[in-house]
Amino acid sequence: MATLRPTLITGGKVPADVTRDVCAPMERSPTALWWGAFLLASTALIVGVVAVTYQIAMGIGTWGLNRTVGWAFDITNFVFWVGIGHAGTLISAVLFLFRQKWRTSVNRSAEAMTLIAVVCAGLFPVIHMGRPWLAFWMAPYPNTRGSLWVNFKSPLLWDVFGISTYLLISAVFWYVGLLPDLATIRDRSKSPWRRRVAGILSLGWNGSARTWSRYETVYMLLAGLATPLVFSVHSIVSMDFATAVIPGWHTTIFPPYFVAGAIFSGLAMVLTLMIIGRKTMQLENYITVGHIESMCKLMLSMGCIVGLAYGTEFFIAAFSGNPYEQFVFLNRALGPFSWAYWTMVSCNVLVPQLLWFRFFRRNIAVVFVISIFVNIGMWFERFVIIVTSLHRDFLPSSWADYAPTSIEIATLAGSFGLFFTCFLLFCRFFPVIAMAEVKGVLEKPRRAPKQDSEQGDAA
Amino acid sequence: MQQRVITIALLIGLCFGLSLLASTMTNWRMPDNQQGYAPEQPIAYSHRLHAGELGIDCKFCHSAAELGRHAGIPSSDVCMKCHRYVTASYDVTQEKLRIADDEKKLLDEIEGKPEDQISAETMQALKDLQARADALKVPSSQLQKLYKFLALDEETMQPKEGATPQSIPWVRVHNLPDYACFNHQAHVAVGVTCQTCHGPVESMERVRQYATLSMGWCVNCHRDATRDGVNGHEVHAATDCTVCHH
Amino acid sequence: MTQLPDKSRTADAALHSLPVEQADASSPVSRRQFLEAAGFSLSLAAVSGCGRAPVETALPFPVQPAGVIPGQLQYFASTCAGCPTACGLLVGTRDGRPLKMEGLPEHPLSQGGLCAVGQALPIGLYDSHRLTGPLSAGESAEWATVDQEIIQVLGQIKEQRQAVRLVTPTITSPTLQAHVDAFLAQFENAKHIVLDAVSSSAILDAHEQTHSARVLPHYQLDKAQVLVSFGADFLGTWISPVEFTAAWSSRREPTEEHPQMSYHVQVESRMSLTGTNADTRFTIAPREQHLVLSRLAHEVASLAGRPLAVSPPLGGSLPDTEIASMARRLWEARGESLVLCDAQDVATQIVVNNLNHLLGAYGETLDVNRPSQQRQGNDRDLKQLIEELGADQVGALLVADVDLLHELAAQPALADAVRRVPLTISFAQREDEFASLAKFVCPDHHLLESWSDAEPISGLVSLAQPTLRPLGKTRSVLESLAAWSGQPATTYEALQQHWQQAIHPRRQAAAPAEFVEFWERALHDGFIEVAAVATTGGEFAAGAMEPPAQHSPSDDFSLLLYSKASMPDSRHAHNPWLQELPDPVSKVTWGNYVCVSSADAEKHSLEDGDIVKVSAGDGGSEIELPVLVQVGQHPGVLAIALAYGCKGTDRFAKVGPQWLESRPTVLENELVGKNAAGFVEFRDGARQYNRSGVTLTKTGRQRELATTQKYNSLEVPANIAPRGGLRRDVVQHTTLAAFAQDAHAGAPEQHHDNKTQLWPEDHPKSGHAWGMVVDLNKCTGCSACVVACQSENNIPVVGYDEVRRQREMHWMRIDRYYTGEGDAMLVDHQPMMCQHCDNAPCETVCPVLATVHSSEGLNEQVYNRCVGTRYCANNCPYKVRRFNWFKYEHDDSLQNLVLNPEVTVRSRGVMEKCSLCVQRIEAGKVKARSHGQPVADGAIQTACQQSCPANAIVFGDMNDTESKVHAAQENPRSYHVLEELNVRPSVSYLRVVKNREEKDRKGEPHIG
Repeated sequence: MATLRPTLITGGKVPADVTRDVCAPMERSPTALWWGAFLLASTALIVGVVAVTYQIAMGIGTWGLNRTVGWAFDITNFVFWVGIGHAGTLISAVLFLFRQKWRTSVNRSAEAMTLIAVVCAGLFPVIHMGRPWLAFWMAPYPNTRGSLWVNFKSPLLWDVFGISTYLLISAVFWYVGLLPDLATIRDRSKSPWRRRVAGILSLGWNGSARTWSRYETVYMLLAGLATPLVFSVHSIVSMDFATAVIPGWHTTIFPPYFVAGAIFSGLAMVLTLMIIGRKTMQLENYITVGHIESMCKLMLSMGCIVGLAYGTEFFIAAFSGNPYEQFVFLNRALGPFSWAYWTMVSCNVLVPQLLWFRFFRRNIAVVFVISIFVNIGMWFERFVIIVTSLHRDFLPSSWADYAPTSIEIATLAGSFGLFFTCFLLFCRFFPVIAMAEVKGVLEKPRRAPKQDSEQGDAA
Repeated sequence: MQQRVITIALLIGLCFGLSLLASTMTNWRMPDNQQGYAPEQPIAYSHRLHAGELGIDCKFCHSAAELGRHAGIPSSDVCMKCHRYVTASYDVTQEKLRIADDEKKLLDEIEGKPEDQISAETMQALKDLQARADALKVPSSQLQKLYKFLALDEETMQPKEGATPQSIPWVRVHNLPDYACFNHQAHVAVGVTCQTCHGPVESMERVRQYATLSMGWCVNCHRDATRDGVNGHEVHAATDCTVCHH
Repeated sequence: MTQLPDKSRTADAALHSLPVEQADASSPVSRRQFLEAAGFSLSLAAVSGCGRAPVETALPFPVQPAGVIPGQLQYFASTCAGCPTACGLLVGTRDGRPLKMEGLPEHPLSQGGLCAVGQALPIGLYDSHRLTGPLSAGESAEWATVDQEIIQVLGQIKEQRQAVRLVTPTITSPTLQAHVDAFLAQFENAKHIVLDAVSSSAILDAHEQTHSARVLPHYQLDKAQVLVSFGADFLGTWISPVEFTAAWSSRREPTEEHPQMSYHVQVESRMSLTGTNADTRFTIAPREQHLVLSRLAHEVASLAGRPLAVSPPLGGSLPDTEIASMARRLWEARGESLVLCDAQDVATQIVVNNLNHLLGAYGETLDVNRPSQQRQGNDRDLKQLIEELGADQVGALLVADVDLLHELAAQPALADAVRRVPLTISFAQREDEFASLAKFVCPDHHLLESWSDAEPISGLVSLAQPTLRPLGKTRSVLESLAAWSGQPATTYEALQQHWQQAIHPRRQAAAPAEFVEFWERALHDGFIEVAAVATTGGEFAAGAMEPPAQHSPSDDFSLLLYSKASMPDSRHAHNPWLQELPDPVSKVTWGNYVCVSSADAEKHSLEDGDIVKVSAGDGGSEIELPVLVQVGQHPGVLAIALAYGCKGTDRFAKVGPQWLESRPTVLENELVGKNAAGFVEFRDGARQYNRSGVTLTKTGRQRELATTQKYNSLEVPANIAPRGGLRRDVVQHTTLAAFAQDAHAGAPEQHHDNKTQLWPEDHPKSGHAWGMVVDLNKCTGCSACVVACQSENNIPVVGYDEVRRQREMHWMRIDRYYTGEGDAMLVDHQPMMCQHCDNAPCETVCPVLATVHSSEGLNEQVYNRCVGTRYCANNCPYKVRRFNWFKYEHDDSLQNLVLNPEVTVRSRGVMEKCSLCVQRIEAGKVKARSHGQPVADGAIQTACQQSCPANAIVFGDMNDTESKVHAAQENPRSYHVLEELNVRPSVSYLRVVKNREEKDRKGEPHIG
């Protein structure tokens, strides 16, 4: 099969090279570039921590919210990060089921990214509460209140279950995928403590035929389990809005629209990270232009779906004859927040159209820029949906403006800080490419990947 | 080998943790559960004596229970309704009664007898009784505190010059959080007995919190009451939140 | 307890040995004990909920006062002294703490209504900034020594025959008046000068000429079928707003059977609260008043067949046709028509009197035989006083209940003059500008601490009784005067004595002949009717009708000084509730501003918040304030509110949460607002509240106005309006003509079907179903309900910055919408509170069930369960939910005494909203149950309903088909706001009916 397709891994790598190349960043001491990035990220993280601490000490009032706009940056960030989290599972689970071999080079880091993004996302529902120390009331547990349960009608509760499930499954999926590589690390590592840690983590992987077959089965099963999550999680998130009465939120199109958007933003983030990663860690041969191109195709298709959704929203509003609905969309496009709306449209719909052209798809720099644009655009999509719908709803007397405070901006920065800090640490301590799987798609047809890897290890 | 070690280590840890927990489990209670709280009071007032042995009705002192939200701690002048006259402690009073009986016996004996025929012993006995009675005059230490708070002269039971009566700083036993409003009138009106919530107060020397006073405890009682009624007649004990939380 | 209260005979019971007696007001400890005596410790509200609850002591009374039930509300009939209007008052006290002010339902004038100022009294009582004892030369002193010194100085003054001047605002209390006279009688040259912040002396002077009696007539608006008001803001601040609102609204209730209501025309220069409620409204320049009135008089006179000698000149901004039709309607309704005017110009007022005479209003719609005594201000005397002070002819200057220097800011030299006066005494409760100069300050009681009486209308006397012991060592003015005139007496004795001598003899046949009974009835009812004092009024004399002066048009502005309904005079400047109460028209809180007409704003490119300098032509006083662009204001007119910039209001600098980005409520070395009294000038013997030749210059600086409403129209911005969706029908209108034909006129046609239900009907409301109806045709927007709600429900004051950020906490808000332009403009006031929807969008989305539906149709908010996701607020179509963004301070232990123990004090991070006063509902049910009876209709009243001067709010059980609320919902004018959402609110509104001709004017597509 590999022969029918263009080569996935260039540079005529043999399995030993794979091991060496991928393990290299873990074994050599970090580059100045890494340190710089880490410093930057962790500073942002600290800023965020300070901001959140202050906000929890003082109250939600330190955000720019008001009686009319009850959510803004907080939930925007939440939805944004959950969205980012989608690419990982998509790439590793869905593409796996579809036998997309090219995924092997990117799935590891995509999964890691998913994990971290979901953690970032999970932060916001907690800190956006007026009394975060009572967050555990969201959990249905027997109590002395005779007995007082949670409201199973509330989409916020669905979120709690949705997100936690997603986090759990993708963590397991990621970890199981890591097992063989951890074993490799164990066998290669010279320092005793690293050997011990890797040993414990690899759960005594011994590369025997049985281990491998078990591993394959489990991986396949998990992929099957994870696939529906790609669609369920963001559908649930979208219902936070779809089930409300607020015009602009009260829309049946939201679930598919959100899922597409999520995958869209996820891919963009993967691209951003990959393009940086392959450069800084000399992995150009593993993450080739081919990989980038095929992700671009995926991204383009998602971008088009999102664009279609924007159009549909307007059509439905006009078609519905509901003056409130119509007003909200006119207000989005022409009202006080039109700048946000048009930023969103240009970043998410117009810019990605470049990817129709092979030239741009294969031009790393262009793709990088586009991916950044999409990230920005998708953040603004959530901002537009939340703020512009809320700030002018039914009673004109209650219309209000919204402007973020320094605390909110710092919190946003902090969430990016958290994300990149974790990701950099991941690059430092874990194999960013699934060695075992990559070896499976190397150019030269082999007998069984297993022995190779062992040979590779022996080498 | 490696993982076996790990497994064993984990198991040991688990057992250890559980054993630690178990010991605390025995007297473990939800936070905020004040059940059994029985603080010391500024005056060692005994409900056992007054409500139990003397059988005074609860609402004699806690009259506000029928009239309003708070049962109210009786103002000191309510105590004075009796203790203007009853100044001694319970057993002293009993003793007094006994002396009075003996005295009466002796007096009956000597009644009608001419002076000279009364035996010296009898006279002596009478004198002794007098002495014993006098020895008992001292008011109970607890009541002295009451008089002190009220700034009363123990002899005359009249207010002292220039002294203002002070409130008695009773310690609240049944403390509901401020977001929970319990209305005594509503419950007394439908015939819920005091003991239902406050327990056998008439048998308590010092009052203690009998019930958990948790929300579940309230709500379940309300549910039962709506189902079974309160001693005979039907009631609608609402379980709407704002009945208590407003 | 919320039943029409069983007023106990006297407050003595409650006064007797309250714990506050042992609690020396200055020591916080004993005050905490006081709190606990009330069975309540708020400090615990925060702590409760973690670990072992802290030990709480409960202090019972040493000796229980008769009739006091722990924690139960008791009502005492009294009289409000927030202003000289003297409305009937019910003081709700709990454990000896006056907590809730309510209207006295039986009172002939206020008829159960009470204005925002009256509602806000309690927070003024528990104010740590009040003086707690007398001051001598700025140092706190003992009464004995102070009295000694004063008596000695007064003695010298008596010998040297120096002038003694006592300045007060209008005194409606006959007893106090008697003592003032008695006190002044000791001196040869003594005078009582009445200084009203907003004076009506011209009206009195005019009647002196036309009726040879210096009286203020008693206007009876309930008898007025046609009402033309020239600038008089009688629904807002003019003379007796609560009484007038009740009377006015009694004629604004057209029914299917009798589709009739009064016709009200307002001719004014600025947008007044009354103007917003008028059927027809015209704007003229202030100086045109005389002209327009003269022409109106001319028209009416010719209709009456008695044409006036001199015909007034033509011109002016009001077209003849309008004046003619106005005259016609007045004349057709003669005997039932009335002309009001706020002019401080005697000539103008004489024209008004002639008009009313021609219309036969005297004896019908206004009464000079039982005149009002609510405004006695005599500006001539005041002018004289200023001259005397300037010439150092005053030996002793006593000032009570008014800040002389604040009100007379126009006389800069006055302060030095006052310093030179040998003896200056202030009775101020807080240190004001005069008090800070006065040799002695003898602080008066707060109204709720002191006995008093009042005779607002000749023949209607009412009593005010104290409801708690004075918190400080203060003393009533009457007692002070009595002490200094040598025969000391307590106010109580003085009252009884005066009543026995002067009031009781005037009793009517029905009244008890025995004084004790007479007194006790008055005390129980709060008021009693006696014979009016015969006014020495002669026959009507037309008086000198001067022709109006001709004014040459000029580019200068004319400045109009007015007082806000939310802050009628400077005595209330220290009241945080009133400071944060949005002005009924501008919706601005915390301070005053320059109202500029839209035309001028465009001309000078001004926007809200631009700070401008306004200066009087004479190069005299000037002021720098932010601009408010006020639609419906006459071009070339500026308007500034009085009663701001009062000494000591910098105390509010730190009100509200203090954090990284918060802006102070009061800027460095500034006060709340600026004092505009400097522009008040003496012209033809009266203080003038308007003056021409004023210039306006931009400073280029900015100060955002803290307004509670950012968008003011029912119409969405035209540039983003969907087709046919320009106007939102949240307020529905019709005209009387249309209503007469079809009682349902004005209802928008229904496109939607409200039969289908998303949820199963599984919430049967078998017992009660509480609901409310608000009559938008009666509601004037006076905002009394807003403060009533704040006082009942422990709503915090959040300060300038939070209001600016649209985070005001009022549960009850009044939305104000402008529709249309010019004379055709419609202004709507819509009280908006939680609608208690049956299909409440907030309920489904709360993850922790903190907001749920009760079996009685209430939408319950459970503060202690709320985790603060704010999802409910987002999903509320009416945006009535309020979130505790911060922990709003409850640190002032004295001020905490104002909190209502029946309502939880919300902590930071929880949602709150209108509960339809559920605590009152529960109390009412318990009361009924303990009597074994069903809850009677009207037995439970919400705070907003109780105090509404216009009787616009009806609350009750919708399941009870006999109930008023049920009837009101059957009213053809009844509708639900946002009915199309099918959330099924329990609150409905009655459509507005305007008594105006069908005119298809621009901007009112939906009228008719």
